[in-house]
Amino acid sequence: MKGAVETVPMRAPRRLVPALADDPLLAAVIGLVLAAALALVLLQPAPYLVNMAGQLAAFAILAVSLDLVWGYLGILSLGHGLFFAIGGYVCAMHLLSHAYAVTGVAPDLMQFMGWKSLPLYWWGLTSAPYALGLALALAAAIAFVFGFASFRSRVNGVYFSIISQALVYVAMLLMFRNDTGLGGNNGMTGFPLLFGHPIGAPGVVTGLAVATLVTLALVLAGTRALVVGRIGRRMLACRDDEARLRTLGYSTTRLKLGIWCLSATIAALAGILYVPQVGIINPRVLSPDLSVEIAVWVAIGGMGRLAGAVIGAVAVNALKFWLSAAMPEAWPFILSGLVLVVVLGLPNGLLDLATLRPKPTWLRRDGRLG
Amino acid sequence: MSALVIEKLSVVFGRFRALDDLSLAIDPGEIRAVIGPNGAGKTTLLDAITGIVRPISGRILLGDDLDLTRRSEAQIARAGVRRKFQKPSVFPALTVRENLEIGAGLGCPASERSDRAAMSLAETGLEARADTPAGSLAHGEKQWLEIGMVLASRPRLVLLDEPVAGLSDAETLRTVELIRSLRRPDRAILVIEHDMAFVEAIADRVTVLHEGRTLFEGGMAGARADSRVIEVFLGR
Amino acid sequence: MVEGAGRAKAWICGVLLAVCSMQSAFAEASRPDRAGFAASLCGDGAAQSKALDEFVRLSGEAAIDDLAVAGDLLRGMLERRFLCLGDATLLLDKAGASEGRDVASGTVHTAAGGRSPVLGLRQRALVETASGIAALVAGETVELRSKGLAAVERRMAGVPEAVLVRAHKTESDAGLKAAIGVAAQGAALSSTDPARRLAAIGAVADTPSGAAFSRLSALKTDQAYRADAEFRAALDAGVARVERAIWIGNGLAVLYNGLSFASILFMAAAGLAIIFGLMGVINLAQGEFIMVGAYAAYGVQEVFRRFAPGFLDLYLLAAIPVAFLAAALVGIVIEALILRHLYRRPLMSLLATWAVSLFLINLVRVVFGSQNLQFAMPSYVSGGMPLYADFIVTWNRLFAIAFATATLVLTLLILKRTPLGLDIRAVTQNRDMAACLGIRTRRVDRLAFGFGSGLAGLAGVALCPIYSVNPGMGTTFIVDSFMVVVLGGVGTVIGTLVAALGIGGANVLIEPLYGAVAAKVIVLAGIILFLQRRPEGLFAVRRRR
Repeated sequence: MKGAVETVPMRAPRRLVPALADDPLLAAVIGLVLAAALALVLLQPAPYLVNMAGQLAAFAILAVSLDLVWGYLGILSLGHGLFFAIGGYVCAMHLLSHAYAVTGVAPDLMQFMGWKSLPLYWWGLTSAPYALGLALALAAAIAFVFGFASFRSRVNGVYFSIISQALVYVAMLLMFRNDTGLGGNNGMTGFPLLFGHPIGAPGVVTGLAVATLVTLALVLAGTRALVVGRIGRRMLACRDDEARLRTLGYSTTRLKLGIWCLSATIAALAGILYVPQVGIINPRVLSPDLSVEIAVWVAIGGMGRLAGAVIGAVAVNALKFWLSAAMPEAWPFILSGLVLVVVLGLPNGLLDLATLRPKPTWLRRDGRLG
Repeated sequence: MSALVIEKLSVVFGRFRALDDLSLAIDPGEIRAVIGPNGAGKTTLLDAITGIVRPISGRILLGDDLDLTRRSEAQIARAGVRRKFQKPSVFPALTVRENLEIGAGLGCPASERSDRAAMSLAETGLEARADTPAGSLAHGEKQWLEIGMVLASRPRLVLLDEPVAGLSDAETLRTVELIRSLRRPDRAILVIEHDMAFVEAIADRVTVLHEGRTLFEGGMAGARADSRVIEVFLGR
Repeated sequence: MVEGAGRAKAWICGVLLAVCSMQSAFAEASRPDRAGFAASLCGDGAAQSKALDEFVRLSGEAAIDDLAVAGDLLRGMLERRFLCLGDATLLLDKAGASEGRDVASGTVHTAAGGRSPVLGLRQRALVETASGIAALVAGETVELRSKGLAAVERRMAGVPEAVLVRAHKTESDAGLKAAIGVAAQGAALSSTDPARRLAAIGAVADTPSGAAFSRLSALKTDQAYRADAEFRAALDAGVARVERAIWIGNGLAVLYNGLSFASILFMAAAGLAIIFGLMGVINLAQGEFIMVGAYAAYGVQEVFRRFAPGFLDLYLLAAIPVAFLAAALVGIVIEALILRHLYRRPLMSLLATWAVSLFLINLVRVVFGSQNLQFAMPSYVSGGMPLYADFIVTWNRLFAIAFATATLVLTLLILKRTPLGLDIRAVTQNRDMAACLGIRTRRVDRLAFGFGSGLAGLAGVALCPIYSVNPGMGTTFIVDSFMVVVLGGVGTVIGTLVAALGIGGANVLIEPLYGAVAAKVIVLAGIILFLQRRPEGLFAVRRRR
């Protein structure tokens, strides 16, 4: 027992101590992210590399959003792709209506649907701030409704996970339909412009990637400040023993709902940044498998550590970029093998490899109320 | 006035009536023990007071006026009701100090929170372990930490669920002391226990429950002499 | 198709025999007619139509043997065995044969230089109807005659009532006689006698179906509908009656489909619920266990095809134990290798089972390919029995329902009546206490996991006559089966059953009204709302915590 004291990764965060000083790994990750952003500007590498860095950063933001609820609140969402997709879809709608307003060329979608003009719910999306606000608000609102219904009736654990999976599955079926007016099966693609500039121009590509990297750094710093603060301690308490926290007078429903909505908003932000970089959004981002994969990134990187989420997302996706081109048949086998190894052997993910620590006692979930 | 009034409380699980028209009143400053055989409804009574189970009828009043039956667990706790579970339940990922601060509850102003935590640390003798994650405390230390969490919240009503079950005689004595130290004129304490010697040592009055109803209420000596109580405890 | 050709051959032989035996008695009188008819079939479209119309018009009174011979010719024409050779016409025994019999003289003649007449679309339809009439009246076997009836019913409008009246009078088979009676009433709809028409409307409405509906509503354009108030009233009443019956029939069909869907859901979810109740593990690979079951059934089919082709029909029954064992084995291996280590980390076990499902899907994809598997449908799961209006009890769905019922009974028996079942229930309710009593909880876990996986394998067998089988098939059912577990409550078989019926039924009921997607949305919203009232599911008893 004594030996475990120094090894528990969730070191006691002291009040008023700068949030990052306690987690040198996270500080290093944030430093690297900012350095990468700087390198993209100064060295101007090949556009595909820039683009890849930007995509990886978007995935990392998504992973952090999930780690916030899973690692710190014990809520495993298998439906986070929904919020990512909300951000992505609204962003795509903005890009299309913006290009339509500037060039006057009707997007393919309009011809496909036989529309003379964009329908009412596209109104105002030419404005980027409105689109940003709408995406975040929509993600938060849907998260609120679903979270309120679930947390209020104390749906948690595995139950919550599979209901959230059903949610994203239903959303996928919905978006596969053409009459939703959001591109149906084909989704939306062919965005020519971003803020009036050709979207493929090197400057725009670099700008997007740098913006995504900087956003990632900000999200990391912000969530770190949150989890080491008073709310963060309540989150950990809630994760480890929700019933007990309730008997101490805390409304765990409100706590969970707040963090859940925040997490959904961050996921939507990742989607917003992701779509202009890949140039397409379609219902496949809503596939339940993709949402499980987000959890896999976090598990592989090490849940309950923000740096772990980033490392997991970057490692798995970089591997995926490389392998699904090099040997597409083998990728699913490698991914499933990787998951099993991590789940069975490395409860703290890749971070275990770095430190080779013994299993911390609290992860074994001993001493919990029944 | 009373610290806690329970009026005609009934709780049902399926067809089973765990509490059947139960009434009970506890005075401020009183330590009341609730005893009874297994299945008498003791734990259900605590669950009902803390809002974990909902009664189908009856009322639970805190301090004569605040009806707890319609409130959530968190609201009840904020009204000043604290419960110590039978199994020590602390938050393993938080330090001892953080546990105590959380234990102080939302009703406590942020400025006061660290003072109360420090006080509780002193009272429970856990100062040396203040920055240790609670998950790595020894079993006994967890028990004390939990009582410290109760202390830090300055509760009006303390509910103790079998605080000495499975403890050695020495540990029981220490616990008796701790519980006595909880006693204040404006605070009522309700203890559930099987151990008659322990009950006799701390309780002002006892309530004997049987099949969800009150069988006897009064002093421990009276309970020992009561023929119905003897029948229930010693068997037919 | 192959089967049809075989039957046609038998029919031809029968007719030929009949023709040969009758030749002596009626040869002189009928020959010129037949030759003329045959010759006009060799003419242009107009000539063909004229001859055929004439034949159909007179078919009510024509002699039996004339009909038989004409039927033979027409059949030959459809099968390209009828050749025109100058003025003569030849009928071959089989298409492409080198010689055939002269229709007029009956002598054998070489087929060289003959051509088979070209049939236009309209003429082909006429030939089919005419040959149907011939078969209906003059066919030798019940089977031939009922085929004739089917052909006649396809184009009822041109068929004289007399043909049906005659066939009805001479028919010996009771079932067919009744069917001809129904058809005759249909024909009476276009009778010139108003009273008979009214009677026919009533009679047609008595045997409602989609066909009856279109037949009756077609009469609304008839001028009698405008002119004759009595006719109008009778027709409107008849149409309304048929409509109502069709509505009921469709309702029954929807319920039936819902029941079969629910059966599969139940089999998929029962295993999930047992495992979840016991170990708190939700198995994301349950869908892949269904797939393993279906592929095992495919393997059994291939073995039968190879070693016992004569008993191929039985493979589906033989697949039942094989699929159960295959899925159970995979389940036990996964439990022993992976899940055993994760019981206290249920969320991690979710990810682990997801990895297993990813692995299994891709393994099967690599080994078998990703196309749909082809199953031979045994006779007991193909076809069905018309029950009411357009509602047909199809055997494949009945198979799934019966299968699920048997599974339910078996599962309940195992859980309530066997030592293993007692152990499973004990461990589900209080693991620590059960362990103290000497129950080997690890072994119970493993067996129960195998059992639950095996149930999914059974679902795979039950669904292969209904749904397509491919590596990704598991995902179709898996989200719905999770919802069944959530709704039904932990570890109760009855809860699972009721929830499966509810979700299966709701899906199928809402689908025709608002579409499949809306059905899923409504079901999910319903479940979330339901959990507001009963977070522990339908049948979980409120317990002390």
